[in-house]
Amino acid sequence: MQAGLLDGVQYGDTVLEARGITKRFPGVVANDHIDFEIRAGEIHAILGENGAGKTTLMNILFGLLQPDEGELYIGGKRVEFRSPLDAIDLGIGMVHQNRKLVSAHTVIENIILGRPRAGTVLNLKRAEEEVNELCERYGFKIDLRAKVWQLSEGEKQIAEILKALYRGAKVLILDEPTSALAPPQTKNLLASIQAMASDELAIVPFITHKLPIVLEISDRVTVLRRGKVTARLETQDATEESLARQMVGREVIFRVESTKVETGKRILQVENLSTRSDKGFLALKGVSFSIREGEIFGIAGISGNGQHELAEVLAGLRKAEEGQVILEGQDITHSSSLERWRMGVGYIPSERVDVGSIGDFSLVENVAMNFYFDDDFSGPGIVNYGDIRQLTEELISEYDVAAPSPDTKAKNLSGGNLQKIILARVLARKPRLVIANLPTQGLDVGATEFVRNKLVEAKEAKAGVLLISEDLDEVLSLSDRVAPIYEGKFMGIIPGDVAKLEQVGAMMAGLRLEGNIIEETGDT
Amino acid sequence: MRIGGCQLKLEQRVTLAGWEAALMSILAIVFALFLFGFVFILDDVDPLSAYQEIFSFAFANPYGLPLTINRFIFLLLCTFAFIIPFKAGLWNIGMAGQLYAGALAAFGALFAFGGKELPSPDLSPGIVIPLMLMAAALGGAGVGAIAGFLKGKYNINEIVVTMMLNFIAFWLVAYMIKEGGPFMNPGGRGESFELPSSVYAPLVMDVPFTIFLVLGIAVLLYFLFAKSKIGYQIKAHGHNPAAARYAGISTFKIPLWVFVVGGGLAGLAGYHYFAAVPGVYKIARNYGFFGDLAFYGIICGLISLGNPLAAIPVTLLFGGLSIGGRFVQGKLNMGFGLDYALLGVLMITLVAFQFFYRYKLVLSPSKGSYW
Repeated sequence: MQAGLLDGVQYGDTVLEARGITKRFPGVVANDHIDFEIRAGEIHAILGENGAGKTTLMNILFGLLQPDEGELYIGGKRVEFRSPLDAIDLGIGMVHQNRKLVSAHTVIENIILGRPRAGTVLNLKRAEEEVNELCERYGFKIDLRAKVWQLSEGEKQIAEILKALYRGAKVLILDEPTSALAPPQTKNLLASIQAMASDELAIVPFITHKLPIVLEISDRVTVLRRGKVTARLETQDATEESLARQMVGREVIFRVESTKVETGKRILQVENLSTRSDKGFLALKGVSFSIREGEIFGIAGISGNGQHELAEVLAGLRKAEEGQVILEGQDITHSSSLERWRMGVGYIPSERVDVGSIGDFSLVENVAMNFYFDDDFSGPGIVNYGDIRQLTEELISEYDVAAPSPDTKAKNLSGGNLQKIILARVLARKPRLVIANLPTQGLDVGATEFVRNKLVEAKEAKAGVLLISEDLDEVLSLSDRVAPIYEGKFMGIIPGDVAKLEQVGAMMAGLRLEGNIIEETGDT
Repeated sequence: MRIGGCQLKLEQRVTLAGWEAALMSILAIVFALFLFGFVFILDDVDPLSAYQEIFSFAFANPYGLPLTINRFIFLLLCTFAFIIPFKAGLWNIGMAGQLYAGALAAFGALFAFGGKELPSPDLSPGIVIPLMLMAAALGGAGVGAIAGFLKGKYNINEIVVTMMLNFIAFWLVAYMIKEGGPFMNPGGRGESFELPSSVYAPLVMDVPFTIFLVLGIAVLLYFLFAKSKIGYQIKAHGHNPAAARYAGISTFKIPLWVFVVGGGLAGLAGYHYFAAVPGVYKIARNYGFFGDLAFYGIICGLISLGNPLAAIPVTLLFGGLSIGGRFVQGKLNMGFGLDYALLGVLMITLVAFQFFYRYKLVLSPSKGSYW
């Protein structure tokens, strides 16, 4: 392996080039003759929906997969990666969306892990100085002595970037760099990315949604759709609409408007509810609210402020420490999750893969997760798989799930399609209360629009919807009332048509705005 | 790897059909027999004639075949005792302890009817045998329940618990049957009192009725996993406990259920060997041997990929080879432990061949490569 192909590259030199990359998987061409190049000092975004072939391309560029056809060039020389080690040696760094850090170790230990120059006897002090220099140069704020498990998602991402830089990366691949970040963190990261680019680093962010970010920071954009390059353009020539059209292949409505529905009787009433997190501290500290028929109640907040615990308490997956949950007049504070399913609670969890589905199960069996106990789909002791299969087929066509058959395993679906089938399955129960926890996180524009429309439909069908989201635009456009949450408490409850982005953003950050907030405990 | 102008590559399998798995297992068996042939050659024995002796004694000999079938029934019950928790993602390695407890409970029921008295009482088989069966199942289930409860309630590792319970049950049997124990044989000899001939298990063509029981259970389990609610819940728990909990499946009840039922079946294996196999009819001095044999339930369960019907041929083969191997060892004057060695080689090969469940070899025309 010839390391050092990228030594002494100058601004504007082509550092990495892919020609005619093709990769086939059984039944699908994931990458179909993709050409791509990036120059030193450039930010070249790759944009595409889930299933467009982004992940495959990324894995090929990083040596995790080998292309069936096509060539890779680094610094003008042809190379072939047998493994990520080859890619790393040649100066390619990757920041995964699923962080690959050792959580029991400190940041600095993770950064030097696997690095040859660290030597047999660790010189942590020297390494720390070097890394601190990088932090200062690019404006990263992180405690190098902190253990990784104590870090927020944003800090973990910084640790990964530092790790790649410390290994001498000249090309930095970023997988969904802003997906887990709150607005201020996003701003900081974008500034750091630009600082790195001005240091002759080539940066390749892979992005599914968040088109404004692409427009803001990138120099060029390559758009993928169904494994093919559909557009390659200078960012200054692109607009949000044009990029979306290239990605999806049709016009996209960005803002799903919630319709006004006559609200009916109260479906859910929560009184002074508290609960603990997995680590044992009080994560939710006495919240009270109510949701009526035909209403979307939005909870806006950055992850880790108790909203996840709230969703789980309401779904019966977590014990309430204090307080009361009343569903249509019945106290369900101590009901099991199965009882709640039967009573009309429908929970769409944020962890699609780990909680919402079973990867090794077929779609029929996954749909059965919410129906195996239902009298319409089971006999005494027996699950009626025939009926559930029929339902699955109906749901696949109604929700336009891209799956070859109902027997496809859930793990073979893309994130968007998996979310569609989970949503379909939950809504098919016609729940009275829908709890949607980060329902569009990580989804592409097309699927996001779809999910939002379905939530609005559920509301029109007189369900009460609890929407938990980090995406302020989403919460504000869909919700009838919005409750920003911070450290386990609501910072107030504001009617959706009055709420302003800046105001809710400030409240999410812990600012309790007195005066113009309409405090509510449920009776409106 | 390259062969001539072609390239041999490993490719990950997307799906595995049932017949492919079966074919792979047969290839593994052939390969294992080929490997083990060298052991015979080293001992100046012709492998082919040795195998012929093994198989003909195990499967075609009027003395060997019933022995094989008795081992098969025993192994199949132990395999089910492993498979049921395995489907829920849990590991039962306590079949030995569960079958000891089953045997003790069965003899305990007999003891309560005065079965130890001499001369042997004339007991009514229609009442005593079902009660012994039930006691055996309950005894095994009781030991299993400990592991299931601790797992479900406190998430205590079931492997450690079932393993430790094996030792407890082993010494409990020793206490009960050795000199001075309540179940001690009046003649001493370190074994339990003998079954009165009135309650010998009924035989059908020299084979105890337990064969119908175990084959019935096989079919029942197959439908349990394919159709039933509890089967669905067990499988969901096995694949993803967090998702199962989300779907309203109790992460306490499922571990308890699988260990109770699995332990119960292992308890039946205890009844079968010590109260139904002709010529035994007591808790034998070498009962520990059967505890060791029970561990083959783990390997048979893994090879049959948790499928209760596929477990039938697998356990039949293992039962037959253990009988035939022991026979040929005596007949050809070969070293001690030949049967164990044969089963060991077979086991390792079968497990190694499971690699091909996930990957397949693909031969494709070679293409240019940079290196």
